Formats: sequence, C-alpha cells, structure tokens
Amino acid sequence: MKPLSDTAKEIRKTIIEMAHRSKSPHVGSSLSCADILTTLYFDTMRLDPWEQRDVFILSKAHAAMALYSTLAHKGIMSRPQIEGYYQNGGTLPAHLDRAPQCGVEVSGGSLGHGFNMGIGLAFGFKRKNQNRKVYALIGDGESQEGSIWEGALFAPKVGADNFTAIMDHNNLQGYGRPTQICCFDPMRDKWEAFGWHTLEVNGHDFEALRCALKEDSQGKPKMIIARTTKGKGVSFMQDQLIWHYYIVTDDHKHQALEELA
Amino acid sequence: MRNAFIDTILTACREREDIFILSGDAGLGVFDDFKKDFPERFLNLGVAEQNTISFAAGLSMSGHKVLVYNIIPFLLYRCYEQVRNDICYQQLPIIMAGIGCGLTYAPQGMTHYSVEDIGIARGLPNLTVLSPADPIEAKSAALFALQSDAPVYVRLAKRGEPNLHTDHTLDIGQPLVLAEGERIAVLCHSVIAEEALKARTKLANVGIYPRIISIPMLQPMNKAALVEMLKDVRIVLSVEEHYVSCGLGALLLELVHEFGLNHTLLRLGLPDHFIHDIYNTAGMRAHFGIDANGIAAAVHRLLDQKIIPAGAEHAYPASLQP
Repeated sequence: MKPLSDTAKEIRKTIIEMAHRSKSPHVGSSLSCADILTTLYFDTMRLDPWEQRDVFILSKAHAAMALYSTLAHKGIMSRPQIEGYYQNGGTLPAHLDRAPQCGVEVSGGSLGHGFNMGIGLAFGFKRKNQNRKVYALIGDGESQEGSIWEGALFAPKVGADNFTAIMDHNNLQGYGRPTQICCFDPMRDKWEAFGWHTLEVNGHDFEALRCALKEDSQGKPKMIIARTTKGKGVSFMQDQLIWHYYIVTDDHKHQALEELA
Repeated sequence: MRNAFIDTILTACREREDIFILSGDAGLGVFDDFKKDFPERFLNLGVAEQNTISFAAGLSMSGHKVLVYNIIPFLLYRCYEQVRNDICYQQLPIIMAGIGCGLTYAPQGMTHYSVEDIGIARGLPNLTVLSPADPIEAKSAALFALQSDAPVYVRLAKRGEPNLHTDHTLDIGQPLVLAEGERIAVLCHSVIAEEALKARTKLANVGIYPRIISIPMLQPMNKAALVEMLKDVRIVLSVEEHYVSCGLGALLLELVHEFGLNHTLLRLGLPDHFIHDIYNTAGMRAHFGIDANGIAAAVHRLLDQKIIPAGAEHAYPASLQP
C-alpha cells in the first residue's frame, strides 16, 4: 500500500488541476484539509460493505474540491465527474449537492449544518444498532456559527460517541484570522467543558491523525482540533489569506504541480 | 385539532418502529403518554432550533421517519435555512408539525403569530404545505404526512376546534366543500373555516347560501379541481387568518391569471403590517373583519354589486364592517 503522504500528494495535485480548469476559489481551504481526508478515507473509515460504511460529512463544504479529489482517488467518484466540476452543464457544483452513491453524503455550503446533521445521523445509527461511525469536518471560521454550539451542547447528552468532529484549524477564514476575529481561544478547553473527548494534533501528521481518530472516546463524542496550514503543500499559498478566494492561473498551476511532484 | 393530529401519529407509532419524535421544548403534556410507552423514540432537543432541524435531517438519513414538533416561528422562521437546505433541498421525508397557526396564540404578541408561514413555506420546493380546518382534516393530514416520501409541513391550531366535516374519509389533497351553496363561493384554509360556516348560518336566515370550500393543501394545490368547483359561481370571496399578500389571497391571483378566470374576487385576511393590537383570537378576527360578521358583511356587499374587478382590489376589512 502507498504511504498516506504519497496519496495526499496525488489528491493535492488533482485539487490544483480542478481549481485551474474551473477557475473556482477555495483552493487554500481544500489543500488545508487534504491530509485529514486522506487519513480518513485511506486508513480510518470502513467503506466496505458500502451499505454499512462509515460516513464522512464535509461540513466546511467550500472545501468540496478536497472531497471530490479524495473520492476520485479512492475510486468512489469517476474521472468524468471530476472533469465536469464547476463547468457549464457540468457534474459537480462548488458546494455539495447530496449524492450518497458517489460519496457526497449530505448537501452543504452554508456553515454550521453538516456538523449537526452528523450528530443526528450518528444518533440514528446507534438507535438502529448499526456499528457505523460518523465523521464531520468543520472549519475554524465555521466554529463561529451558533448552531455549532447548539450541537456541542446536545451531542454528549444524546450519547453520540460514534460521532467524531474534526476542526481544520488553519487560522485563516475568508477575511482574517479566527483567533483575532472572535474570542477563539482557549478552543480545546471550550470543547472539553462541553463534555467532548477533545484532542489536539498536528493536522498534517498522518500518524498523529490516525491515533487521534482511533483513540477511544470514553463514551463521549470526540473533537479533534487539527492544527493545519491553509494552502498546505504549495509554498506561495501557505498561510496566505488571499488563497481563500484566489484563482489558479497557468503559472500558479505549473509552479504548484512542480512543488507537488 | 392538534390532538387529532398527534393522536393519529401516536397510533401509527404502535405499528411503526421507525417513527421518532423531536420536540423543541414545546408541547407540555402532549407527548406524556408517548414518552411513557416509547421513551427511546422521543427527544426534547431544547431551545436550539437550528440544531433540532439539522439533527432531524441526519436522523432521517439513518432511516427514521422523523416528526419535529414546535411553535411555528421556532419551527420554520428561526431555522429557515436549516429547513431549506437540510430538509427540503435533500428531500427528506420529515414531518414538520407547527403549532399556533395564524393568531392562535393571541394576545401573546407578534413573535408568536404565524401569519406569513404559508408564503415562506411555498418558497420551498419539495415541501407539501397543509393547513387543516378541523380535527378531521388534521387527522387526514397526519395520515398523508406519515406515508409521504417528501417533507410535509402542517400548520395546526390548538383551541379545541370542532369538527366541521362529516366525511371522515376525505382526500386532504383536494379542495373540500364544507357546505354546498350557490352564486358565491367562500374559500378558506385553516380554522377560519369555522367562521365562514357561522357566516353561512347567518346568511341562510336571509336566504343567501354561499358555498364554503376549505383548501387544506396549499402546496401543491389542485388548482384545476378548484377551478371546476367555481364553474357555476360568479363571485369568489377568500378568507384567511394570514397575510393576504402571501397566502391564499396571493394564490388566487395566480389562479385568476393562469386560468383566465373572470370571477369577481374579494380577498379577506390580514393586512401587511406587524400586529400591535391586543385582542384574543376571537377579538382579533373581529378587529380584522374575518370573523363571521365580517365574512357575512363582505358577502352582502359582493351580492349588492358594490364590487371591484378581480385582482384590482385589496380587501381591507375595515371598509367592509356592517
């Protein structure tokens, strides 16, 4: 089996190609979480049999390119689907339109929805005695949504210990740094105080992610705060605010793919 | 009415394992028996409306038939985007049972009234909108919602409304004749139908017999069936405990245009302003001219031909007071 780091590199290359072909934004957001998605889909999650699969919800759905690319490399989504991303008369929108058969488990695009749907889904699986886990990736900007904290209050109460939220904490949202925009820290203490089994890891360290995802949550829902770098893997995009929205030109693409080679 | 709806759901729960009820900290006492019998199938998700709707969507995706119960503003307004994206966009077969339609909660204040919910709900594709007039329609609405594979919104009152129908096997998807009549048709939805029938009793004393029609399913509405029911009348009066501008009144203007109707049309209901007046429900209806007296007066005026062409008027009830 290929090392996860190699797979993540391929996923990033596809993200760059998609962003370049489509001229769509959010490439930085997608690169930020590529290692998390790689770990989930190529190590942690049970996907076979498909009917009993674990479910991943991309609550920060503006990073859809990361999900599409990961699904394509996993063989769940097809090449033509990927090529039709963000094209006139194409196949895939920039935010998610539910299609469970090809891995898009819920619709998304407005923040603070997928996280809460994930809690309901995890609760439903438990009620049906199905041994299925639910993972939801939220952004650190998304953590400003009131609905996140509504869900934070209730998930431990309903015993959703098969639910894991991962926060892609790259400390860059659309127009600034979450830690400067709101009273963000101490984030780990907040989740612990809400009754979640809370971990903090380097979101680009595959081994650390694997361990955190596998760790027993002691009957609680789990929150993994993954410290990440926006635009990870492409030097001129890393930790740059503009790459939330900037468009990948021919030159950008060329340089990015060289760095990811 | 509420009890007829909920009892129908609870009866189904005894046969269907998949039904799950979520409440948003509302309905004191309503689910007591259910909670006793099926403690594992009920959750109060508290004063957290956004989470409640998204949670419902997730629970539905796991294969449960979910009913969400709350006061309408906290079911549909506070969490509108969750209803739009998570339930309707994803076409999940969730039942949204809203309490306090129209001015049911008067005089609790504007925050608790639901006088624009039909307009809001009609903007949501995939969503069936039901506004039952009595306990029999409410029961039928529950049966419809239970078998639906798409989302259903039902707006309910809870003031011990009487049965208006006698036929317990009615088809909730159709316009329903509550009382036969001639020359003039009075169209309504929800509990104001009771006032329309009272008006008809008054009018019968002077030899006027309007046909009273309840239209419980406002989306999708069987327009062709309604047009057929209006074929032999020349005058149509609509009455609702809802803003005319985005309720049945608005639907009727669409109908007039789409079917080229040339009936004389007058639309009673609530004018487009926030309600600061302090009255109970009956007092509000009198104040806005949609009680039995107001409806009877409007019928008299229409039959006296002091009328305005279809579509050009805006019924303002004060001018219609006897």
